[in-house]
Parts: sequence; C-alpha cells; structure tokens
Amino acid sequence: MADFIQLFVNGLALGSVYALAAIGFVIVYSATGVVNFAAGQFVMFGTFAGVAMLANAGLPWPVGYAAALLAMAAFGALFFAIVYLPLRTSPVVTVIIGTVAVGIVMQNAALLGFGSWPFRLASPLEGVTIDIAGAAITAHAAMVVVVTGLLVGLIWLLFYRTALGIGMRAVAQDAEAARLMGLNVNLLLALSWILAAVLAGIAGLLLGPMWFADVNMGDPIALKAFAATIIGGFGSLPGAIAGGLFVGLTELLGASYLSSAYKDLIAFVVMILFLLVRPQGVFGERIQDRG
Amino acid sequence: MTLLQATAISKRFGGLMALSEVDFTVAPGEFVAVIGPNGAGKSTFLNVLTGLTLPSAGNVQFDGRDITRAPTHGRIRAGLGRTFQHGRLFSRLSVLENVMTGAAIRTDRSESQLREASLGMLDRMGLADEAKRPIDSLSYGQRRMVELCRALACGPRVLLLDEPAAGLNSGEVELLMARLIALRAEHELAVVLIEHNMGMVMRLAERILVLNFGCRIAEGTPAKVQSDPAVLSAYLGEGYNNARD
Repeated sequence: MADFIQLFVNGLALGSVYALAAIGFVIVYSATGVVNFAAGQFVMFGTFAGVAMLANAGLPWPVGYAAALLAMAAFGALFFAIVYLPLRTSPVVTVIIGTVAVGIVMQNAALLGFGSWPFRLASPLEGVTIDIAGAAITAHAAMVVVVTGLLVGLIWLLFYRTALGIGMRAVAQDAEAARLMGLNVNLLLALSWILAAVLAGIAGLLLGPMWFADVNMGDPIALKAFAATIIGGFGSLPGAIAGGLFVGLTELLGASYLSSAYKDLIAFVVMILFLLVRPQGVFGERIQDRG
Repeated sequence: MTLLQATAISKRFGGLMALSEVDFTVAPGEFVAVIGPNGAGKSTFLNVLTGLTLPSAGNVQFDGRDITRAPTHGRIRAGLGRTFQHGRLFSRLSVLENVMTGAAIRTDRSESQLREASLGMLDRMGLADEAKRPIDSLSYGQRRMVELCRALACGPRVLLLDEPAAGLNSGEVELLMARLIALRAEHELAVVLIEHNMGMVMRLAERILVLNFGCRIAEGTPAKVQSDPAVLSAYLGEGYNNARD
C-alpha cells in the first residue's frame, strides 16, 4: 500500500507537469489554431532557465524562479513576434512547420549553450519527505501537485472571471468579430503565447528536480503532452488536465506494476484507441471548421 | 457637421469593382439607410468603414480624424459599432460574456462594474433572464438582440447594422424597430442601416443611399428615393415603365 501511495503521488506530480505543458499547448491551439510542435522545447527551456538562474547565476530561490519565468514570458513574446506574427496570414500548416523548425533551433541552442551533459536542478524542498501511511512522499512531488492545482484555479479565474480572459476566449473563437468588439486581437494573441510559455516554464522548473535537465528532454514531454491532449480532447482545458494526470499516472504505475521497458506503452495505446474510437477525446467537441 | 465621412471609396477585388467612388456622410444622431440589390456592395462598404477590408482608393474620416487605414479595434474604440449580417456571436461564451466582450472596451471599470454595466444593457433590451444562458439555447430573434446589445456595449456613436431584421418574424421586426427608436432617443446615436426590409427602411431612415454594382445611384429622403427612376429600374428591371403602363 505504501508503495502504491508513493507511486500514485509521484505519478500525479509527473502528470501535473504534463498537464501544465498540455494546457499551454491547448491555449495556443484554441487561440491561434496552431499546433505548437515546439511545446516540449518550451518546457526544456523552462528547466534550463531554472538551471541558468539558480545553478549558474546562483540567485536565491524566489528571485531565481521569478527571473526564469520572466525570461520565459519574454521568450513567449519573442516567439509570437518572430514566428507567429510573420506567418499568421500563411496557411496554418506553414505556421505548424515553423514551430517544428524553431523547436529544432531551440534544442540545438540549448545544446550549444549548456552542452550535452545533463544538469541537476535542485528543488527548494530538496531532501524533505512527508510520511503518509508509511509512504515516503518527497515534498517536491507534493509541491508540484499543489502548485499545479493552484495554477489551474488561477487559469480558470482568468478565463471565466476576467474581461481579459473572456476577450481571449472570444478571440479564439472568431478573431474578426472580436476586432469589432474593440478587442486588440494581436495583443490578446501575444498574451496567449506568453501565457503558454510561462506555463511551460513552470512545468520545466517543476520537472527539473524530478528528471535531469537534459537538452533532449523536450521531445518525450511533447509526446506526452500531445497524448494527454488527444485523450482529454483537443482544445479542452479540463481535457488537458485529466489527460496529463492520466498519462503521468499510467507511466509510473505501469513502470512498476507491468514493465519499465513498456511504461509508455499504456498511455500511447490509450491515445491510439481514442484516435480510432473517440477522436474528440473525453471532453472535446467534434472537430469542425473553425469560424 | 459630419461624424463619419467616406470620400470616393473604391474597392477592387481582382477584376470586380465592388465599390466605385462612393461618397457617404453621417451626421451625429442621424439615421441613414444603405440599400441596393444583392451584390451591390453594401456589406463591402461596411467592411471598409470598419477596417475589415481596406479600400483600393478613397478615405474614411471619423470625428475629423483619418481612419482609412486604422486597425478595426481602434475604430471601435473611437466610436464605431457594427453587427453582422449572419450572426457572429461567440457561441462558446454565455450571453453575458458576449456582451462583456463589448463592454470591456472601457478599461477604466472594474470587473464587477463591467459585469453590472453588461447586465444593465441586457436588462434594457429585455434579455436579463437569459444572461447566464449559452448562446445556442436562444431563439434566432434573441440572438440578434444579443448581437445588438453586444455592439451597443461598445458605446458607439455610429452604429452600423448589417441586415438586423434578416430572418426575424414580423413581431420581432416591430420589436427591433421600437428598440432602435428608443435607443436613438436615449443616446445621441447615429445609425447606418443595411436592410432589405423596405417597410423598416422607409419608416426609420431619414436619408437613404442606394448602391447598385458598387456605384451610388441615388441618395435622398425616403420619398425621393422611392420615386427615383434609377432606383426603380435597379430593383424592378428596365421594363418597370412598360409594366406600369
């Protein structure tokens, strides 16, 4: 039982990270129609922003975290300005290919800057464990779950309780009608990219202490976030959360109860089943032409 | 005194002249109708005024300022408002949220003031009970009213209405007209109406601009336009005189 609790909490923590990455992915997709294939590299950048600010620059925790997230926000704005904005009148496929290209550039930029040797990004709660029914839970894993829960609440408040968020949802549905409501569509689209980058940054900072900071970590995260979005429902925020948690839990529980070699198998088999049987996912709407 | 002025507006789509040297003015509080057969360029004209389409030639001034190439949201903030011919409500937002997207134009208000102002707007249009409902649960007539409400929430000085009565039954058209009359009395609101419902146009408009094949073929009071030979021939065909004989 103790083993199960430990695995379950760790699975939730890993799933939370996937969920955050998936939420960023969904926010960009809903607002712009762009499937961001660089989403995994965004998370990797988040981890390395943490490495740069905390391990290399030696900033204290709160300052280092804030600086890393500020850097990610700036990166989101930059990505909007140099990748999305110039390509926004091109077919959406061109923009998607653009994100693939930039993802490759990001990965190699990280390789150039940090080298191929993995780094260790420490947690502010390093070495602290919590005892629950005989199971030793790392405080970091618990923090990841709590932080993700808080963020999900904040995102919900933003999208459903503030004029800014309602405007972002309006732009996601019909940019032209939104312009006619006096909404600054480009600004709101930029905010969507910035929000996605910051969420990926938080995911990266939380993931760093659980994995090693490795320049190749982006691709597996992107695949998991992608699987999470398919299972949960493309374009759905609750779907991204549920899908992320599901993928994280099956990964850790599958690794210990079935086989660590096939730990990714369950999540991807489920994803393929969804694609075959229920392509709109658990919470998604049927794919239709975007208005 | 003119509030909105379009001068020599031309718009070419490839080989098609959608608008050809159209002049148009709206004074504060004035009610102007733009009519013409299908394909006359009416919606394109509204698109040029609101910046969804940029004109090939000519210029648009609002309140003395050149807005020919201004971004759409800037024009809306300056005091233009518009509804669409085919409803373009945000279907995944509630009725209240739809109105809030318009009301959010004023950034000096808090979230709760914004919500209250939007609710007040819905209340005046008789839609307060529907505030929390999703758009797809409304009747077609109610949706058109929500669209009007949403455009009004932007606080326009000139409201451009693209066929607001299309698809409404006669009772709903009466209600719409009553609302428009009341709104004009309440605010100093100028209205530019594109409409095929001639009964509505003749009752509401003080001045009518008639377009055909992108050209202005007549302009004047409803009585004058109704008896204009060019207008009659555009609507009824060249043979109308023979038919009358």
